[in-house]
Amino acid sequence: MFSNLFQQLKTQETTKKKLEVLFYDRTFRKLLIQLVFSILMIVFLFYLIARAFSLELGFSHLGSRAGFGISHAFLIDYSSNDSRWQAYFVGIINTIRVSFIGILLATTLGVLMGLARLSKNFLISKISAGYVEFIRNTPLLIQIIFWQLVLLQLPQISDALTFGGISVWSNRGILLPFINSVENGSLWFLILLISLIVTLFVRSYLNKFREENVNFFSPNLISLGFFLLITIISYFILGIDLYSDIPSLEVNEYGTYIQSGGFLLSPEFAAILFALVLYTGTFITEIVRGSIQSLPKGQTEAAQALGLSSYQRITLIILPQALRSIIPPLTNQYLNLTKNSSLSVAIAYPDVFMVSRTIMNNAGHALPMLFLILITFLGLSLFISMFMNFLNRRVTRIGA
Amino acid sequence: MIKGINWIKENLLSSKIDIFLTIVGAYFIYFIFSLFFNFVFTSDWTLIEVNRKILLVGLFPEEDLWRIWSVFYVFSVLLTSTISLVYGLQIRTSIFYVFILLIPFLIFTTINMIFHILILIIISLLSYIFVYYLKRTSYRDILSRILVISWIIFIPFLFLVLVLVDGPKVTLWGGFFVNLILAVIAILAGFPLGVIFALGRASSYKTIKLVSVVFIETFRGAPLIAWLFFAWFVLPNFLPDLFSLNDINLVIRAMIVLSLFSSAYIAEVVRGGLQSIPKGQKEAATALGLNTFLELFFITMPQAIRIVIPAIVSTFIAIFKDTSLVFILGITDLLRIGRLIPEQQQEFYGKSIEVLLIVAMLFWVVSIILSQISRSIEKRLNVSQ
Repeated sequence: MFSNLFQQLKTQETTKKKLEVLFYDRTFRKLLIQLVFSILMIVFLFYLIARAFSLELGFSHLGSRAGFGISHAFLIDYSSNDSRWQAYFVGIINTIRVSFIGILLATTLGVLMGLARLSKNFLISKISAGYVEFIRNTPLLIQIIFWQLVLLQLPQISDALTFGGISVWSNRGILLPFINSVENGSLWFLILLISLIVTLFVRSYLNKFREENVNFFSPNLISLGFFLLITIISYFILGIDLYSDIPSLEVNEYGTYIQSGGFLLSPEFAAILFALVLYTGTFITEIVRGSIQSLPKGQTEAAQALGLSSYQRITLIILPQALRSIIPPLTNQYLNLTKNSSLSVAIAYPDVFMVSRTIMNNAGHALPMLFLILITFLGLSLFISMFMNFLNRRVTRIGA
Repeated sequence: MIKGINWIKENLLSSKIDIFLTIVGAYFIYFIFSLFFNFVFTSDWTLIEVNRKILLVGLFPEEDLWRIWSVFYVFSVLLTSTISLVYGLQIRTSIFYVFILLIPFLIFTTINMIFHILILIIISLLSYIFVYYLKRTSYRDILSRILVISWIIFIPFLFLVLVLVDGPKVTLWGGFFVNLILAVIAILAGFPLGVIFALGRASSYKTIKLVSVVFIETFRGAPLIAWLFFAWFVLPNFLPDLFSLNDINLVIRAMIVLSLFSSAYIAEVVRGGLQSIPKGQKEAATALGLNTFLELFFITMPQAIRIVIPAIVSTFIAIFKDTSLVFILGITDLLRIGRLIPEQQQEFYGKSIEVLLIVAMLFWVVSIILSQISRSIEKRLNVSQ
C-alpha cells in the first residue's frame, strides 16, 4: 500500500520536501485525517463515559419488586408484587398492542381517504382535503389530550349509552361486542397471528418453487390448508371454547354499576388509538394520493377502455402499481406511529415509556432506562422495517 | 346557470354511487359543522379575553415585552427577505396567508398589539419589495451574503436581546413564545449540524461516516419524548462544569436536545438532496480544478439545499408541532398554560376543551401557513426544473 510512498520519500533529500510529499499523498492524508478524527472521538467518548460513571448505572434495580399497579395488562399477568422487568414487558406489550391496532386502522383510513381525495365527487374529495389539512397541522399531543377529554365527556356509568344492549359507552370506557374464549383466548389469537405470518412466508416460498416447477400444486390451497390445520390443532389442544362476548351493565344490591364482558376500550387506550390513527392517517392519505397521482394517466384510461368497473380498476390496476411507491414512505409512517405511541405518557396509558418513567421516578437509574427505551424502540423499528422490506420485495417482484 | 347545473351533474351526481356518496358526504359535513358551531356558539369565550397575554407569552414581564417584539421584527424581516430573494410568492397564496392570519388576529388582538402588528406587516412588506427589486440588480450577491451572515448571527442576537442586558429570567418564559423560540432555534442550530452530518454520512472517510450514521440513527431511533427526558434527567451531568453550564435552565436544555434531534432529521433530508444532484456537476467541478471543499460549498451544496428547502420546511413544521411535548417536562409552554388555566382559575373551571381548541388553533395557523409556503416553493421548483 505504502511502498510507492516510501520510495518517493527516499528520493527526496530535505525534510521539508519529504513532508510535502507526505501531505500531498492521498492515501496518507486520508489515513491521517481519520486518525486525528478517531482520537478526538475517543477522547470525547472517554469524557462521556467518565461523566456517566457519576450516575447510577446498571439494570439491577429492574430485578426487584415493582410496587406499582398497571391498569392495562394484556397477555402477561401482572401485579405490583412482580419484578420491574415484568412491568417493563407489560409496557412493551401495551406499546405493541396500540401500535399494531393503530397501524391496521391508520392504513385502512389512509387508503380510503387517499382514494376519496382523488374521487370525482367534489364533496368527498373536499372532505378528505379538509381532514388532512386540519388534523395534520395540529400537534399530536393536543389531539391525544383532546380525545381523552372528549371521551371523559361521555355520560356516567349510571346513564351509559347501550345501543340496544350490544355495547356500553360511558366515561369508564367503551365496551364493544367481541368473540372470546373461556380460556387461553389471547394465546390462541397470538398463535393464529404468528401462523398467519408463517403462512404468508410459506406461500411466497411455494410460489417461488412453483415458478421453477410448472404444473406444481396450488400454493394458495396448500398454505390455506396449513393455516387451517394449525388453527384446528391449536383449537383442540388449548381447549378453546368460543362464545360471543356481549357487554352487559348491571346494578348489584348496593346500587353499584358493574360493567362486564366485551372488548374494553378504556378512555386512555381509545384516546391514544383515535389520535394516532387520525394523525397518521393524514400522512398515509397524502402518500396514497401522491403515489396514485404519479401513475401515468394511461393506466386509468386503459382500464376504463377494457370496461373494468371502478372497483376493479382500483383494486386490480391502480393500487397494485401504486403500492410500489407507497410502501417505502409507508414504512416511515409506521415507525413514526410506533414512536409516537410513547406520547401516551401524557394521558397515563401504560405503554413502555410510561412504565419506564414510573420506574425512573421510583428507582432512579435514568440513563440505563433511557438506554433500554432506545434499544426497545430500535428493536421495534427493525422488526417493522424488516417486515415492510419483505412486503416491498414481494410487491416489486410481481410483474417486474 | 346551466353551467352551474352541469357542474353539479358532473361533480356530484354523475352515477348512482355518486349520488349516494354526495348524500352521505353532505350529511357528514352537516354533522361536523353543526357539532363544531354548536360548541363554538354555546361556549363562553371570556377566558381567552382574560388570558390573552398569558397564553401568548406566559409570565414574561409587561415592561420587557419590547424584547420579544424586536426579535420578532428582525425574524420576520429576515424571513420575508429570504423568501423574496430565493423564491418569491404568488399573489393568490399571499392573500391566503393574510386571510388565515386574520383568525388569531381577531381573537387575540388588543390595542397595544395592533400597533406592533401593523409595524410588523409594514416592515415585512417593505423588506419583501426591497429585496424583490434589488435581486434583479448587481447587488444580489452582496444581498445574499448579508442575509446568510444575518441568519448566522440571529441566534446570538436573540439571546442578547432576550436574556442579557438585564433581561427577564428564562424561567419566566412561557406561552406560545416558548414554542416558537424552541422551534426556531432547533431548526437554525439544527440546520448547519444536519448539513455536517449529511456530509459525514456521504463521506468516503469510514470513521467519519460511522460516527455520523450512529449519531443520526440513534437520534431517529428513539421517540423525541425520550430525548426530552434525557435533557431533563441526564444531560446536565454530561455538560462541562464551566460557567455553571450543568445548572442551566430546562428550556435551554430542551433547546439543545431539540436542535440535535432536528439535525438528525435534517441530515437525512439533506442527504436525499445531495444524492439527487447529477454526478456530472461534481465531475465538472473537478475538471475545473476545484478541490473537494470548494466543489461542495459552491457547486453541490447550494443546489442540494435549494431542492430540499420544502422538505426542511416540513421538518420545521414537525419540530414546531413537537415543541408541544415540552409540556410533559413541565415547561410552561402554550399547551401547559392551556391545561393550567381551567385548573387554576376558578371561574373557568371545566373549560378544558375550549382552551385546548384555542391552543390547537394557534399551532394550526402557523403550521398551515408554513405548509402552504412549502407547497408553493415546491411548485416553483418543479416548474424551474
